[in-house]
Amino acid sequence: MADDRVEPRSETAMPRRIDFTRRAARATLVASIAAIAVAYGSAFTPGGAPAWAPWLLAVGVPATLVAVMILGAARGHSGIGRLKIPFAFVFIVLASGFCLALALPGNEGPASQLWLGLPARAAFVIYGIGLLPILVLPVAYALTFDSQTLGASDIEKVRALSRQNVSGSP
Amino acid sequence: MQTALPHVAHPVVIGVGLAYFAVIIGISVWASRRTKTASDFFVAGHGIGLIALTVASVSTAVSGFAFIGGPGLMYNVGLGAMFIVLPAAVTNVMGAWVLAKRLRLLGEARGLLTVPDAIGARYKSPAAQGMAGVAILVGIVGYMATNALAMGVVINAIFGVGIGWGIWLGMGVTLAYSVGGGILAGIYNDVFQGTLMALASTMVFLFVLGAGGGLGSLSQTILADDPQFLAPWGKLTPLAALSFFFVFAMGSLGQPQGVHKYYMLRDPLQLKWYPLLKTLGLILVLLLYFSVGIGVKAFVLSGRMAPLGAPDQATPALLLSVTPIFLAALVFSGVAAATMSAANSFINIGAAVVMHDLPVAFGKRLSNELRWGRAATLVIAIAAALLAQLSGAMVAFLGIFGWGLFASTLVPALAVGLNWEGATRAGAIASIGVGLAVTLSLETAAYFKAFSFPAGVTASAVALVLSFLTFFAVSWLTRRTAEAAIDPDVRLIMEL
Repeated sequence: MADDRVEPRSETAMPRRIDFTRRAARATLVASIAAIAVAYGSAFTPGGAPAWAPWLLAVGVPATLVAVMILGAARGHSGIGRLKIPFAFVFIVLASGFCLALALPGNEGPASQLWLGLPARAAFVIYGIGLLPILVLPVAYALTFDSQTLGASDIEKVRALSRQNVSGSP
Repeated sequence: MQTALPHVAHPVVIGVGLAYFAVIIGISVWASRRTKTASDFFVAGHGIGLIALTVASVSTAVSGFAFIGGPGLMYNVGLGAMFIVLPAAVTNVMGAWVLAKRLRLLGEARGLLTVPDAIGARYKSPAAQGMAGVAILVGIVGYMATNALAMGVVINAIFGVGIGWGIWLGMGVTLAYSVGGGILAGIYNDVFQGTLMALASTMVFLFVLGAGGGLGSLSQTILADDPQFLAPWGKLTPLAALSFFFVFAMGSLGQPQGVHKYYMLRDPLQLKWYPLLKTLGLILVLLLYFSVGIGVKAFVLSGRMAPLGAPDQATPALLLSVTPIFLAALVFSGVAAATMSAANSFINIGAAVVMHDLPVAFGKRLSNELRWGRAATLVIAIAAALLAQLSGAMVAFLGIFGWGLFASTLVPALAVGLNWEGATRAGAIASIGVGLAVTLSLETAAYFKAFSFPAGVTASAVALVLSFLTFFAVSWLTRRTAEAAIDPDVRLIMEL
């Protein structure tokens, strides 16, 4: 395969402003992946996964997903703006859905009260985790698209740089 | 889905099946006349509209598993099987935020054709591009072989021609439109196939709820005899169910058949509505997964259906014993559509790896990419059909690691790498290598029973986690090289 040459870092590069949003998202991503790794690692111990292992996933998995979404949604150094609210909502819905399913007593039976046709814990999972995010996330994406994601001027900037690259190439 | 489907061979099913194939052939002939360049062949000339791309994307996101294997799994393990499809509530919009804009703009700036192209551009590394290409090719072998076998099983169920002939018939039709019309034929066939799948799924959902007296009535029947079925994790452990959610949610960012579609959208500003439309489409297609799983369980427990010989018979048994024959015909064609749509997408991506990414990794460029692309398409399809026919039970093993392999090899380098300037090419190469090695070695060891995982842990999940940790650790260790290894246009796209 072709050689991967490492280019030295420019000595004259301007110091870059610290991007706290991305930094926090990366730290959360690393921490939550590490938590998931610990949960899996604990399953290899004698006696199998301890009782706390699923709790690490119940919190770690939503944290991982929201962290990676924040990394993707952060724009320049302006952070994620109004998207804080839907991201917080989705983390709470997913984490509380998983945690409720773990915490509530498993007493499903013929006498169980049904919520929209399902026993309570199943309803939290199917309607909470499976449906609630749909009502919020794609709508938030569309409503903030022009300001937070992509505008015509962004595309023009990319096209201009692309034209510049083509005309500057030998 | 293996070989469990019964032979239907009913005139209505055969008639609907023939009509389905006639439409596929018509679309393919039309598309092949419009395919003139490699860009047309692999990314539809970056010219697909929002609705067509959305429906096509839904169609390739689900394979025959959503219609046969998934409902069967749910019949077997209860609600725990839903953790495979529940991530659909977040994955489409997550993909849009993390990848869609950046990949579409990279396509705009660089004229990229493939997912490994983006990795090569991000890290200025032909080696990383080549390794990503190899990982995709290995995953595609498994996916293609399982889809080829699934086609054989479904076509045999409809026409009664035998599984061997079914494989070649299905692959022949898929191949004809893949070679002739490339991704353009694939996209418009996907639009037709996705519409058919959504229609069939919605009708089955409504029929099952109607026949069972509503979801509450179905639940009460199940709760009387098998309450654990409706526990939130079903008969799985919480760790196993949550692992499904993790691998299928995070892993979605590395599935080339979905990610590749971002290059094709005509106007990048149309991305605004893409996640909403795709999520709604996916929910429609997945209604069958939920309703058949829960409906068949209730019907069997109440004595309305005979107990199943194998979980994979859940959908066909319901269709043949409870639903009207026309609905059964529609769903059987929908299953054929799902497998052919997935196979076409993988053939196209595999051909692009062979004729584009691997030559680039070795510093070469083929002179006529369109001709070589068509040749590679032919070879991959024939190889997959042969593998499906000759490898027997091994084909199931090949299919298992497809999703996990794409996830562990591509997600850190692609999804995180395009959003973090601190990621380095050494980190990307190391994580792709670790993902490939760990997935292949653990899945192989588990398949041959040389090693067994503790309850709730899967090779895919372990490989994904290790790949992430490797990516972060190696990027941190080589962080001095990070800033300088990004071209200005790529940096601009990452900052937007």
